[in-house]
Amino acid sequence: MATTGNKSINAKLVLLGDVGAGKSSLVLRFVRGQFVEFQESTIGAAFFSQTLAVNDATVKFEIWDTAGQERYHSLAPMYYRGAAAAIIVYDITNQASFERAKKWVQELHSQGNPNMVTALAGNKADLLDARKVTSEEAQTYAQENGLFFLETSAKTASNVNDIFYEIAKRLPRVQPAPNPSGMVLMERPAERTVSASCCS
Amino acid sequence: MLTGGGISAVCMSRLLQFIKAVERQGQDHDRQENHDPAEASHDLSPRGIDQLIVSRHDTSSESDVTRPGNLDGTEGKKRRKDRNGHSTEGTFHLENELHDLSDDADYAASQLHGSVYMTPSDSIKTSASAEPEGAELVYLKDNVTIHLTQFASERISGRLKLIKQGPSLFMNWIPYKGQNSDARLSEKGILLIIENIPSLVLPYIFLLCMAFVADKNLYTIRDASFSDVRSIRRHTPTLGWQYIIIVMSSGLAFPPLYFYSGGVKEFIATVKQHIFLMRSAEDANVFLVNDFESRLQRTLSSLELPRAVSVANLQLESTSVPLGELPSNENQDISHANAADASSSACLYNGRARQKVHDPARDLSIHVLEKFSLVTRFARETTSQLFRESLNNGFVSANERRAHSLSPVDFSDEPVYEAEKVPKESEVFPDPIELEKMTLVWGQPRQAPLCLKEWATYLDSEGRVMDSKAMRKRIFYGGADHLLRKEAWPFLLGYHAYDSTCAEREYLKCIKKTEYETIKVQWQSVSAEQAKRFTKFRERKGLIDKDVVRTDRSFPFYEGDDNVNINCLRDILLTYSFYNFDLGYCQGMSDLLSPILFVMGDEAESFWCFVALMERLGPNFNRDQNGMHSQLFALSKLVELLDGPLHDYFKQNDCLNYFFCFRWLLIQFKREFEYESVMHLWEVLWTHHPSEHLHLYVCVAILKRYRNKIMGEQMDFDTLLKFINGLSGKIELDSILRDAEALCICAGEHGAASIPPGTPPSLPLDDGLLNTQLEDDIL
Repeated sequence: MATTGNKSINAKLVLLGDVGAGKSSLVLRFVRGQFVEFQESTIGAAFFSQTLAVNDATVKFEIWDTAGQERYHSLAPMYYRGAAAAIIVYDITNQASFERAKKWVQELHSQGNPNMVTALAGNKADLLDARKVTSEEAQTYAQENGLFFLETSAKTASNVNDIFYEIAKRLPRVQPAPNPSGMVLMERPAERTVSASCCS
Repeated sequence: MLTGGGISAVCMSRLLQFIKAVERQGQDHDRQENHDPAEASHDLSPRGIDQLIVSRHDTSSESDVTRPGNLDGTEGKKRRKDRNGHSTEGTFHLENELHDLSDDADYAASQLHGSVYMTPSDSIKTSASAEPEGAELVYLKDNVTIHLTQFASERISGRLKLIKQGPSLFMNWIPYKGQNSDARLSEKGILLIIENIPSLVLPYIFLLCMAFVADKNLYTIRDASFSDVRSIRRHTPTLGWQYIIIVMSSGLAFPPLYFYSGGVKEFIATVKQHIFLMRSAEDANVFLVNDFESRLQRTLSSLELPRAVSVANLQLESTSVPLGELPSNENQDISHANAADASSSACLYNGRARQKVHDPARDLSIHVLEKFSLVTRFARETTSQLFRESLNNGFVSANERRAHSLSPVDFSDEPVYEAEKVPKESEVFPDPIELEKMTLVWGQPRQAPLCLKEWATYLDSEGRVMDSKAMRKRIFYGGADHLLRKEAWPFLLGYHAYDSTCAEREYLKCIKKTEYETIKVQWQSVSAEQAKRFTKFRERKGLIDKDVVRTDRSFPFYEGDDNVNINCLRDILLTYSFYNFDLGYCQGMSDLLSPILFVMGDEAESFWCFVALMERLGPNFNRDQNGMHSQLFALSKLVELLDGPLHDYFKQNDCLNYFFCFRWLLIQFKREFEYESVMHLWEVLWTHHPSEHLHLYVCVAILKRYRNKIMGEQMDFDTLLKFINGLSGKIELDSILRDAEALCICAGEHGAASIPPGTPPSLPLDDGLLNTQLEDDIL
């Protein structure tokens, strides 16, 4: 769960999605501003942290990047257990990865923390020519399932910081009662914040 | 021999003091024992050290064992009376009638030919020293062997004798002379130690070091009296050698004695003829000797105190014995055991009270332990106990030790309960400098890689590897020159047999190439139409395609667009997923294949080398993760054994799943080192010297290297994972390998016993269905 103190929030975030959807690339773009064409596969899991300033608080993301292969599925609960947020990543050029993303959504709905802020990221948005999953299809699915949706490109950095920024804004502010300033209710799902400022 | 460059004058004088003291003790002992004068030399040649150690062993820790010929019978009887509280002889007849072995088929059979082994002429002809006056040799068996390592790669053979003197029966097991054990450290090793260690602890280290030098004699069993034996466990597997484990009343046991030439039945039968032996009610393979304790305990049950009990004893349901009833040496022993326990060695010496609440892994540990080893008292004293206390238990115990270190021969006269002062959990971190130095001292210096020219000296004229063990050892210490890898790897991986000739290997290459092509065609011939209806194939291919293009792309061999080697990786992996359809493809495999293809070049040869590697590492990728779980479990046991405080730290911080080491183990450190170092590390690990599971000791070595940082910064699981992942590229391989070797030697049989049988990279225990992954519905 997200916890606060002096307007700073620690939030555990987990990245889930099919093999090669771009989970590691997204997080490396967000945390280090880097992109490599052939990002090696993740073995086991990787952990990163990055701090983001939103209007009312500083959010320190503790990010778990997981291995995508189904074979390692059994390890996933270890990572999403207790997570305040999740980004489910698929590859817009790969229909199967979108189907896999849906499975993750179902699993989180049934197993995960009910207050979890969940985002759906259609990655590799730069590869428009190879697109297999339409933006509309994903948007519809996201709305139906209470997720917010962005198409991202770790390669061009498009919407990468934005998706984390959106999550940061939506995290419940659990703060001591006398401090009303931090109380932000869950916003509507799938709201686009075009002007979201990129941080760090 | 002892003139180390970096050794200070003070340090040297202490060392000499110590050596003299040990020598004196050795001389005294030699006088007592009437040893062969050749063996009683007091120079410090390795042979001399061997002898001194054995002497120390005998005098300090085995003095409750009565010896024929040098201790008079009254003292022996008195001691037995002390232990058991009543006369032993009286009980023999009484209980003998109640428990008869004549229904035992083994026993009956042995009656027919048992005496064959007892001819007196044998003893005169073959025994180096005649039996003492009045002693009678009642049993003699050659080729009785102990295994220093789990899979008998290192062993010491010797002669087992039973000697009857008066009413007492004694056992001797003497290793054959001139037989060298590979576990020895060289003289060079000793010098190295002296140069590197802090002077205050030097005598201990020296002692420890000598224990290793003397390891062959360390296992010698001299005149062990059956009045001190609690039980004999017999193992007669259908396949493999018969062996026995003899458990002493103290709770300790001798290492399993393997009867290479048979004779377990006769041994039991002979023992039965001379002393009271009763088959255990719980286990027909356990024979209880002098089982008087149960009665004693009933009367003293109110005084029950925790005590060190060996695993074998736990199985016999033996319970605590009041400390006061034991001879002082026995108490001494317990204090050591408790000290060892203080570092929470759950699997080795559990107090009765504690074991009930212990982890569920205990049963497995017991099973494994019972199977593979229990060590002699001396081995435990010098290795585990010293090692743990000096290294792990922090200032308090280390300082206490140091206080004694000027007169290490008095070591055995420490206050009985001293060990209890050792804090259970280290509140204060051990001195990092000392710790780091000490962890580094034991591994041998690394050597230059084995080159093609030197390699040729290991081959006979037809290309057979003459001494595969020596060759593997050579590669262990230096790795292989890159040009040699193509030759050496197929042997190390088990694809080529060491005794194959060049011609045979060339022939095999042709055969295997055809075989590879046949399997490859299986997936190549899948048409587009067929693939549409073959989801598993499409998914597998898709997964492999995704992974090969991101495997080692910054390494020149795999760099650039349309790299043919990438295609080759894909073809091999896809072919493998058909060759082993149950296992299929799993992330991590491309990492394991990449260096193999780089070294071998040829596609088919790479495939078969990869197949050989996967025979051992395949379980890493099982859906149920059993291969990974057993390794992570073994790793936790080894850390518990080798660094108690670190283990406790992980325990307190919910890190005991050791999942932060997952990547290390899954792909054998492939992501942790530069490409060249990975190849070096792999060939070192594949030598299976000094352990098949050296990779686990490498894990321990790395964790120990950073233990102070981990604990000092109070890393939680997340931080730890981040930290461990971040070590990639920063670990200095050679020094870690030296540490790993040292840790492996130090852990000895305890370490081997911590690793469940069949743990990768051991070959699977069950060679029926390799991978029954019928539930594998996706990939």
